[in-house]
Amino acid sequence: MGNCCIFLPVKGRKLMQLKGQLIMYNLRVAALLGSVFGFAFVATAAQAADPIKIATIAETSALGGIGIPRAAKIAAEEINKAGGVNGRQIEIVEYDDHNSAAEAVRAFQRAAQQDKVHAVIATYISEVMLALEPWSGRLKMPLITPGAASNEITKRVHDDYDHNKYVFHGYLASTQIADSVCEGAKKLVVGDLKMKTAVVMSEDAAWTLPLDEEYLKCLPKIGIKVLDHIRLSPDTTDFTPIYNKIEGEKPDVIITGISHVGVQPTVQWQQQQVPIPMFGVSSQATNATFWKDTNGAAEGVAFQMVSAPDVAVTPKTIPFAQKYKAQYGDWPGYAAYTAYDDVYMWADAIKRAGSTDPDKMVEAMEKTDYVGTIGRINFLPKGDTFAHGMRIGEGYITGLIAQWQKGNPVTVWPDAVAKGKLGFPSFVKLPQ
Amino acid sequence: MYGRKACWDAADMLRNKIFLLVVPLLVVLALLPLGADGYILGLLTLAYYYAVFAMSWDLLFGFAGEVNFGPTFLIGVGAYTAALLNHYWHWSIPACLAAGSATAVVAGLVLAVPALRLRGPYFGLVTLVAVLLLQNMLVLNAGLTGGEIGLDLPDVLAVDDTQNYYYAFGFMVVSAAILFGLSRSPVGLILQASGQDAIEASALGFNVAKHKLVAFAISAFFSGLAGAMLIFYMGTASVGTVVDIAVGVNVIIAAVLGGRRTILGAAIGAIFLIGAGEVLRPLGQLATFIVAAVALIVILFLPSGFLGRFLQPGDRQ
Amino acid sequence: MLALQILIDGFAISALYALGATGFTLIFGVSGVLNLSHGALMAMAAITAWAVADMVGGNAYVGAAAGVIAALICAFVTFRLIVRPIQNSRAIPGEEKEIFVLTGTLLWGIMIQEALAYLFTNTPKTVRPLIEGVVSIAGVRVPYNEVLTTAISWAAIGLLWLLVNRTRMGKRLLAASMNPRGLTLLGHELSSIYLLVWAIYGILAGIAGVLLGAFLGVSSDNAGTLTASAFSIVVLGGLGSVSGSLIAAFVVGYLETITAYLISPTIRTVPVLLLLVVVVYVRPQGLLGRR
Repeated sequence: MGNCCIFLPVKGRKLMQLKGQLIMYNLRVAALLGSVFGFAFVATAAQAADPIKIATIAETSALGGIGIPRAAKIAAEEINKAGGVNGRQIEIVEYDDHNSAAEAVRAFQRAAQQDKVHAVIATYISEVMLALEPWSGRLKMPLITPGAASNEITKRVHDDYDHNKYVFHGYLASTQIADSVCEGAKKLVVGDLKMKTAVVMSEDAAWTLPLDEEYLKCLPKIGIKVLDHIRLSPDTTDFTPIYNKIEGEKPDVIITGISHVGVQPTVQWQQQQVPIPMFGVSSQATNATFWKDTNGAAEGVAFQMVSAPDVAVTPKTIPFAQKYKAQYGDWPGYAAYTAYDDVYMWADAIKRAGSTDPDKMVEAMEKTDYVGTIGRINFLPKGDTFAHGMRIGEGYITGLIAQWQKGNPVTVWPDAVAKGKLGFPSFVKLPQ
Repeated sequence: MYGRKACWDAADMLRNKIFLLVVPLLVVLALLPLGADGYILGLLTLAYYYAVFAMSWDLLFGFAGEVNFGPTFLIGVGAYTAALLNHYWHWSIPACLAAGSATAVVAGLVLAVPALRLRGPYFGLVTLVAVLLLQNMLVLNAGLTGGEIGLDLPDVLAVDDTQNYYYAFGFMVVSAAILFGLSRSPVGLILQASGQDAIEASALGFNVAKHKLVAFAISAFFSGLAGAMLIFYMGTASVGTVVDIAVGVNVIIAAVLGGRRTILGAAIGAIFLIGAGEVLRPLGQLATFIVAAVALIVILFLPSGFLGRFLQPGDRQ
Repeated sequence: MLALQILIDGFAISALYALGATGFTLIFGVSGVLNLSHGALMAMAAITAWAVADMVGGNAYVGAAAGVIAALICAFVTFRLIVRPIQNSRAIPGEEKEIFVLTGTLLWGIMIQEALAYLFTNTPKTVRPLIEGVVSIAGVRVPYNEVLTTAISWAAIGLLWLLVNRTRMGKRLLAASMNPRGLTLLGHELSSIYLLVWAIYGILAGIAGVLLGAFLGVSSDNAGTLTASAFSIVVLGGLGSVSGSLIAAFVVGYLETITAYLISPTIRTVPVLLLLVVVVYVRPQGLLGRR
């Protein structure tokens, strides 16, 4: 504005300045009024159509990870078709974290501050989840994990509720998983196969510390003597020395706790014809493509799941699995079932809270009583050891044991839903 | 060989170009917190620390001619020293930073010893092995160091986005000024000469070994310090963020992209790399692929890097 | 029979390492290139073999052949699109060409790795073994696959030795690695030598990748470690020396195996790293290095 006056003669300059100032003043008022009206208009219009955004953060190059956004989208579609939540549509915003804690934190920050999501469903890796947890508190962003297992997740909620209350554990904690495996082993390994000794073989990672601790407690309780406890580096590629060592100790069964590795130890187990069966946790074995990835070496691998495509854990399990397969060509991985349930639970919590205010959402989420694909889900309350974890037990979530047989995962426990019996390849020696 | 007068004329010209480019950019960046939201500030904060990593690397490679495959050895040593001191003995942040950079300098000198006797790929291997050893040590002693989960720190630099931003920004600007000044000083020119032709340099009477040691010490100091500051920004120290080979690869790419032997180019390269990574985030898996592809294309067709042509001191005849 | 087990396993792993490292050192010796996309190339060969075998209904031989061919093609692409343009570039001063080739191949390796992860996920894949089942060697149970891996590795290395030492082409190769200019003075085309050496490299790396995939399984995540491993062995043995790499491969293979069996599987790679440090400080040109 100053420049315009340079070229005018001196006399008229003062007049021009005053006129200019008046015009500017008018313009400013008009702008202010216009923007107020415009904002009000836009705000009301926006609110009517304002979607509820739920973020998914997972590694999409990993089979376990890609199920999370896929399943979330299926759930969102279904909810939207049924009218959305209080008239609002659910929008899934996807982020790839390359299984790196640093990337996940950045994605989380972007989701919260840039893309302004209302809830986050993140990862199946404990290390990543643990890195996200403090940020959930700092940014007051409700967060749930559909697949990570570390006990530490709920321990932090228990130890510092006010800060960490936004976090929910949508999967079993390692201790609960170990108990589930022991339950299944009690019937199958001890009861049916009359086995007496075991070696625990698990990878060196955050989630296996409480898992192994619980294994070492619950296995003796069901009558199995633990001969050795081997922790292997998640970077291991050559398992020959490990199997060799285990074979030297002559256990009846190998109780596993592996997630980062799965294909390689299984293939090498079969190729070397290790005469000892494997039973326990193997996350990769829950992938629909495990058979193909191992070229069939998976035959006989028994693993723990909370849901399977052939078992109606609840009326929702099989329809979801079928829908996922129809849309994506493969059965869903274990974190997909829970991610599907998580979207429904967030939507339900928002509906009951009547708002997307984080504190109200948390309150509503705590009162969740929802029948999902994995069972009936209740979150444990504030003072519980596993605060904001899921309630385990009869009538809630129990878990299954399945086994790969001739190209398909067959549920073998609990008896009520079992579709087959345990069977092993010929090179495995069973006690008589 | 340029005459002394010609040397300073060229330097003046370059300095003006630099002024025109860099100062307005710095002003914009300094004023950014007034308008940008926390997310962008956080992104740039990380980028600034990477900028210091890259600039330190450029000093070593671009000038002293030492191929360092494992910048994260120095960064990691600095970061974890600071982290362990803070976590277990609750030293104050400034004390941890000082200790971290000092340890990193020692590590840098340890690395420098074989460098004086080996050339090219052999030295590169030493740096690579150093990183692998550090990583193994940290992961195998997970009980003490937190392993892959990392070590969480009781103290952080600041909780507020803007404060963190200014800490990082200030640190980067000061480091850049020092490193850049060094590169243009007589010491820097000798380093450059030693890097390009050590025999001729020593024939001219310069103590090549001493200058290379100095280069290592300085590069290590800044790398270690930046590493320590980075972990106090994030609140955790983990192998994946300060030791992993992937981080080192990013540092090297940033420096080469921006233009080797320019120091400032490395900073620009780092900011570009971090920014591009975020901008491409919606592409999910393909983001890394595209960034690598772009970097490859730049290397093939624009080997001087983004700023190389602008800022590189003239090659000697 | 722990000793026999260690002997056999060590032999198999060493043979595999030797195959991978030989190609790597050959390329350096003749072409002057440290190909940092080596591991990605091997991973690509293995995953291609797995994918193609799956597509043709489980035929392991077709899959393996496809893997080796894919590696050959990739090696050519690496040479023509990345290495040669950088080496011939006028914009890069001579002494910096090395770092640019290094960075260029590094980036190319990352691209291959990410493409593999995108197309096939990063779950490890196993190449179907050419022969299934186990055989008992003096009381030690060994998969046929392991025996085959060792046999093929040695056959490939043997063929290479024959090529280099007994054929005219091979002798030219050797000459090119010692004195490229001398060779051109004698009227030979350097470019055909380079093509040959990259072709040999592609085939060797391809076979190594496919065998590794069958023996241990490979994922796109392994690309970096495979490169680092080949690099280490080659420097131990002496950059540019094929026999050096062979010896070093066995040293490394046995050191790792013995550590894994007798001490602990978790610290398998540590003694090798320490050995590397010692060698680099004490005898930096490696065991049989020339340059």
